[in-house]
Amino acid sequence: MGAVASSQTVTVTVNGVEYEREVEARKLLIHFVRDDLDLTGSHIGCDTGNCGACSLIVNGQLLKSCMLLAVQADGATIETVEGLAEDGELAALQQSFSDHHALQCGYCTPGMLMSATALLRANPSPSDDEIKKALQGNICRCTGYWNIFEAVKAASA
Amino acid sequence: MLPREVEYAKPASVAEALTILAGSDGARALAGGQTLINVMKARAASPDVLVDLNGLDDLKGIELGADGTLTIGAMATYTDVVGSAEARARPILGEVCSQIADVQVRNRGTIGGNVCSNDPTNHLPPLMAAIGARFTIASQSGERTVAASEFFLGVYLTAAGPGELLTKITIPAGKHDGFAAVTLGADGTCIANAAASLNGSLRVALGCVDAVPIVVQPSSSDEASVREAVRGVGLAPPADVHASSEYRAHLAEVLAVRAARQAAERI
Amino acid sequence: MSETTIAPSPVEIKAPERKWAGQSVPRKEDKRLTQGEGVFVDDVKRHGMGYVHFVRSPYAHAHITSIDVSKAEEISGVYGTMTGEEVAALTDPFFQLSTPPGAHLKDYALAVGKVRYLGEPVVAVVAETRELARDASELVEVEYEPLAAVVDARKAQDEGAAVLHEDSGTNLMWEGVYEWGDLDAAFAEADKIVKIEELHFHRFNSTPLECDGALVEFNPGTGQWTIHTNNQFPGFAQIMMGPAMRTGLDKLRFVTQDIGGGFGNKITSHPQLVVCCLLARKLKRPVQWTEWRTDFHLSMSHGNERWFRDTEVAVKNDGTLLGFRTKALDDAGAWLRYEPLGGVIWAQVTPGVYKWRHIRLDFTQVATNKAPCSPNRGYSRMQHLWFTERVIDIVAHELGLDPIEVRKRNYIKAEDMPYETPNGCVYDSGDYAAMLDLATDLIGWDTIEARREDAAARGKLLGAGIGSTLDSGTNNFGQSRMINPELQFSGNNEVATVKLDIFGEIVVTLGTTPQGQGHETTASQVVADILGCSVDDVHVRAGHDSYWNSHAGFSGTYASQFAVTGLGAVKGATDMLAEQIKRLGSVILGGVPEDALELAEGTVRIKDNPEAALPFMACGAIINANNAGLPEDLDVTLNCRYVYRPPFQVPDLERKFGNLTLTYAAQIHAAVVEIDPETGHYEVVDYAAVDDCGVRIHPQIVEGQVMGATAQALGAAMHESFEYDEDGNLLTPNFYDYHVPHALDMPPLQTGSIESASPFTPLGTKGMGEGGGAGIHAVCAAVQDALRGHGDAIVHDSWNPYQRVWEMLEHPERTRELVQVVDA
Repeated sequence: MGAVASSQTVTVTVNGVEYEREVEARKLLIHFVRDDLDLTGSHIGCDTGNCGACSLIVNGQLLKSCMLLAVQADGATIETVEGLAEDGELAALQQSFSDHHALQCGYCTPGMLMSATALLRANPSPSDDEIKKALQGNICRCTGYWNIFEAVKAASA
Repeated sequence: MLPREVEYAKPASVAEALTILAGSDGARALAGGQTLINVMKARAASPDVLVDLNGLDDLKGIELGADGTLTIGAMATYTDVVGSAEARARPILGEVCSQIADVQVRNRGTIGGNVCSNDPTNHLPPLMAAIGARFTIASQSGERTVAASEFFLGVYLTAAGPGELLTKITIPAGKHDGFAAVTLGADGTCIANAAASLNGSLRVALGCVDAVPIVVQPSSSDEASVREAVRGVGLAPPADVHASSEYRAHLAEVLAVRAARQAAERI
Repeated sequence: MSETTIAPSPVEIKAPERKWAGQSVPRKEDKRLTQGEGVFVDDVKRHGMGYVHFVRSPYAHAHITSIDVSKAEEISGVYGTMTGEEVAALTDPFFQLSTPPGAHLKDYALAVGKVRYLGEPVVAVVAETRELARDASELVEVEYEPLAAVVDARKAQDEGAAVLHEDSGTNLMWEGVYEWGDLDAAFAEADKIVKIEELHFHRFNSTPLECDGALVEFNPGTGQWTIHTNNQFPGFAQIMMGPAMRTGLDKLRFVTQDIGGGFGNKITSHPQLVVCCLLARKLKRPVQWTEWRTDFHLSMSHGNERWFRDTEVAVKNDGTLLGFRTKALDDAGAWLRYEPLGGVIWAQVTPGVYKWRHIRLDFTQVATNKAPCSPNRGYSRMQHLWFTERVIDIVAHELGLDPIEVRKRNYIKAEDMPYETPNGCVYDSGDYAAMLDLATDLIGWDTIEARREDAAARGKLLGAGIGSTLDSGTNNFGQSRMINPELQFSGNNEVATVKLDIFGEIVVTLGTTPQGQGHETTASQVVADILGCSVDDVHVRAGHDSYWNSHAGFSGTYASQFAVTGLGAVKGATDMLAEQIKRLGSVILGGVPEDALELAEGTVRIKDNPEAALPFMACGAIINANNAGLPEDLDVTLNCRYVYRPPFQVPDLERKFGNLTLTYAAQIHAAVVEIDPETGHYEVVDYAAVDDCGVRIHPQIVEGQVMGATAQALGAAMHESFEYDEDGNLLTPNFYDYHVPHALDMPPLQTGSIESASPFTPLGTKGMGEGGGAGIHAVCAAVQDALRGHGDAIVHDSWNPYQRVWEMLEHPERTRELVQVVDA
C-alpha cells in the first residue's frame, strides 16, 4: 500500500542533473523548480493555468508546471529553459528568437521556448497553423506573437 | 494562490485507489489536475487527501471493439484521444478534444476528469450526452454502468460519488456527429456549445445553459425542427460576464442547428 | 486665434554619422533572456527573507470594525504582520496631486478604518514560506460592516450615493473646463451639428505577464532601504514614498533589472512597497512580495474608464470638421494614485490628428468603489483619441461620406508641421495622409468590396475601418499645474552616465527601467556611432539602481519617451566623453588641435595621420591610474554624467495653453473584420499598421512595439474588460475570464513605416511604444462598417464583445438613438 503523506522525498533529474529534496505534497512543481532548485528561468504569470510561463517538458511531455505537484514529478526527467543552450552556445531556437525579435521583456520566453522545442521535436516542419496551435497555451503581452511565429518557422527544418 | 496542506498518495492499482478514496470523506481523485489543482490553489475546495490516478495504466487505454464500440479509459488524456487510431472510429471525439485549451492542458487533462468535473462550460458532457456514452463507475462494492442522463447530476456533480471512481466510458459505434461552440477567443472557454448525433434518430445536447447538458430530440435535423425542439425546453440559462441569459439561449439555438447540420452532413 | 506658444527651437542635429543607428543589431538583452538568466524580482533571494501575503477586502465598500492578527501571529514560522493602524501611526498619507475635493483624500499604504474597493489590501502577513504566509492570512480575522457601493461613475454624484471619502465629502475628485477657439462661431458656421449622446471608453489594462513585486532590505545602521522591485517609475515612487515614510529620498534605493512588461501598469505599486519597507524594518529581515495575478486584476492600475457625453460636432456638408464640445466623465476608482493627471494629459492631443480649432471639453473625475486607476499604455490620450476617431467615423457614417476622404480632408497636413494645436501643443512633424495611403495600400482597400461580397456568400458580414492615433511622448510635467496650480513640477529629464574605465571598457549607466524596449541595445548604438567603436565594445548596465546616481526626478520608463529623453541623455553624456577623449588625445598626441582629431576604431587619432592613435584603453589607463604630469587645468575625468532636459516652459494656466509634449509619433491602422450575424461572433481577418516615430534607431525594436500595441488593442477591443457587478465584485479577475489574445487569435499583419524626423530632439527621434490604441479605433470602425446596411448601429463603446455585436444587429435602434444630425 502506497504511503499517504503530507510530504515526501522527491528525486528529479533536471537538465541532466539529479536533485533530491523533501517537499510538502502541496508544493507546485513550478515553485519547487524555482525556489527549491534555484532554477528561476521558468516563470509564473497567472493563477489559473492560462499563461504558460511555467511550461516545462516532463518525461518528454510539455505541460504547465503550475498544475502539477512536485510529488507527482518524483522520478521524472525534467527539461527547463536552462538546459536548452549547450556550453554557452544558444540552441537554434533561442538564436532564432533573438534574430526575429521574438522576445521583448523575456518573461514569457522560457515557456515559449519549451513549447516550441516540444513542437519541433514532434513535428520538425510545422505549418503556420501548427505553430500557432502549439503556442496557444503561452501568453505573450509584448510581441503580439507574430515574430514568435516567424522565429519558430525559421528554426524548423 | 497556493493550495492548503494536503496528503498525497499514488496508488499502484485501482483497488488501492478505491481503498484510499473510501477511507476518508476528504479524499479526492487527482486525474489530469488541470482543473483540480487550480481549484485547490484558489482554495475553493481543499481535499484532505489527493489520490493520484496517473499510475493506473488500467485506466488509460482506448479500445475499439469489433462492433465499433469504443472504450475509453477515464485516464486517457485529450492528447491520447486526438492521437488514437482507435478513436478515429468516432472522429468527433478527436475533433472536439483538439479544441480544448492548448497542448499543455491536453497532454495532462483527461476524458474522465472533464466529465467528472462537469463544469457547465466543458466540451465533453454535452458531447457524451449526445452520442449516448455510458459511464462505468467502480467502488469497493463493485461496478455499475450508467447513461449520461444518470451520470451528470448537477454543477460539478456526477454519479461518481465519494469513494468511487469513473473507470471507463463506453461509446457506441457511430459517425454522424456534430459539435458547435462559441468560445472566448479561439479554442477558449465555451460561452455556449451544442453537440448532435444522428444515429437513426437525432439527439442534440446543449451545454452551458444549465447545470447538466440538456438533451432534446428534434424530429429532424432541419433548422425549423431543431429550433422548435430547443425552444420547447424553455431555456433560462445563467447569465455571466460573457453572456446574458437571453444571448446564451439564443446561441444555444443557433449552435444546436449547426451541430445538427454537421451531424447530418457528415458522411 | 490663440497666441503662438513658444515652440521649441529646432535642434541643429549634429548627429553622428549613422553606422549603428538605423540598423536592427542583435539585442544585447537576448542572450540572458533566452537562457532564462534574466533577473526578475521574484528571482532575487535573500537569506532569512519573509514572504508577504496581503489580506484583502472581500467587500467593495465597508467599514473595518475590528482586526485581530493574534491567531496568525501564533503560527510557528509566521514572522509578523502589519495593519492599517500601524501604517497610520508610522507614516503620513501619500501626497495628493489634486486640488480639493480630491486633495483631502487620506491615502495610506493599507486600508485605515474603511475599505473602498474589493481587493484593497488590509493586512500584511509575513512568513517563512509562501505557503505559510497564505495559510496564516486565513487566520487573520477582519470584521466588516458592509456599505452600499458606487460602481457606475454616472451615478457617483447622485443625491444619496454612497460617498467613498468622508474627508472630501463627495465622490467628485476633480473637474475642469477646457475651451479654446470660438465655439459659437464654429457652430454658427457649421452646416450640420452631429450630436452623440454618449460614448464610452472601457476599463482594462495591459496585464503585463509579470505581476508587481519587491524584495526589500533594511539596513538599521544607516537607515537605508534597498528596494529590489519592478516598479517602472522609481522617480515617482520615491517622491510618493519618501515624505510618507518620513525619510529622505536617498534612503530609498531602487534596484531593478529585468521587468516582465510594464505598459504603465507598474507605476503605482508604491503603497505595497511602503508596507514592505515598514515590515523589513519592523521584522529585521528582508521582506519579499510577489503579487498574485488575481490581486493584480483586482487592484492594480486599471486604465481610465471615460464617458464622453452630450457631444456636439460642428460639421460642414463636405465633411470639414470645425469643432466639438463634449463632457468627459472619468472614473478614477477608489483612490487617486496618479490621478487626476489624466484630467490634463489627454490635452496633449486635444484635436487628435485633425485640424478643427474650436473645442470645449468639460472634464469631471469621480471616485467609485473599484480598483484605483493609474497609467495604462496610451494613458488618457488613448481615450481621447478614440473619442476623436469615433466622432470622425460617426460623422462620415451619418453624412454618407467616405471615411477615408473625410479623414484626409481633416487631417493636419505635413506642410503645416510643426503644427500648433488649439491649446498650444506643437506637433513636431508627420504626414498622416501618406500614412493613410500606405495603410490602405497594405490592407488592399480597393479589394474590400469584393471581399465583402465573398464574405456575404459565406453568410458573414465584412467590414473595414481605419484608426488614426498619436503617441505623444516626453511630457512637460508642468501640465500638472493645470490640475493643481500649487504643484511644483514642470519640464522633464533623464540621465545617463558614460565612462571609459581603466582597461578601456566603455560603460553606460541609464536612469531608465526598461521592460523589454531594448534600452541596452539602442543606447549602445548611439554610443558606438559617437565614439567610433563597435556596439560590442559598449557595455550598458542592465536595469536601474539609485546607487548609480544616474537618475533624476523623472527617471523611469513610461510615456513613450526613451528615444528622446533616455537616448538624449546618452548622446549628451557620450558627446561629453568624446570631447574629453579628444582633449586628452590632443595633449598626449603632442598638442594637436582637437578638431584635427577623430574617434574611430576604438581610438582617438589624427585624421590626417591615422597611425598616430591613442587607443581608448590607454586613455582610460592614463586618467584613472597613470595621471602624473598631466596639465593642471586638464578637465578630463572620462566619467560623464549628463542630464537631458527638454525645452519646455510652464504652460499658461489661465488659458490652459502651452506645449505639453515634445514629440508626436503617429500610427494609422486598418482592420478588416468578419462578423457571423447569427451569433455576433467575429474575427479580425486582416490588419495593417503604419507608424511614424521619426528617426528610428532600431527598426526591428520599433516594429516590435507597434506589433505589441496592436495585439493589446485587439484584445481590449474584442475581449478584455474589467467588468464589475452592481456590488463591486470584479467579474474578470484572472486570465480565465479576462481573455487576452493567444496565438490562434492573431490575424495576419502587415506593417509599414515612414520617418518624419523630429526637429526638436537631439537625434531626430520621437518617443514611441504606447501606440495610442489605434487597434481599438480601427476595430470599432470596422465593426461599424460591417453593420452598415444591416441596421446601421453605431459603435459607441470601445469594448465590443460578441454579445454587444449581436445586440447591435438585433437592436440597432438602441444605438442609433444615441446619434442625431440636425441642421445648424
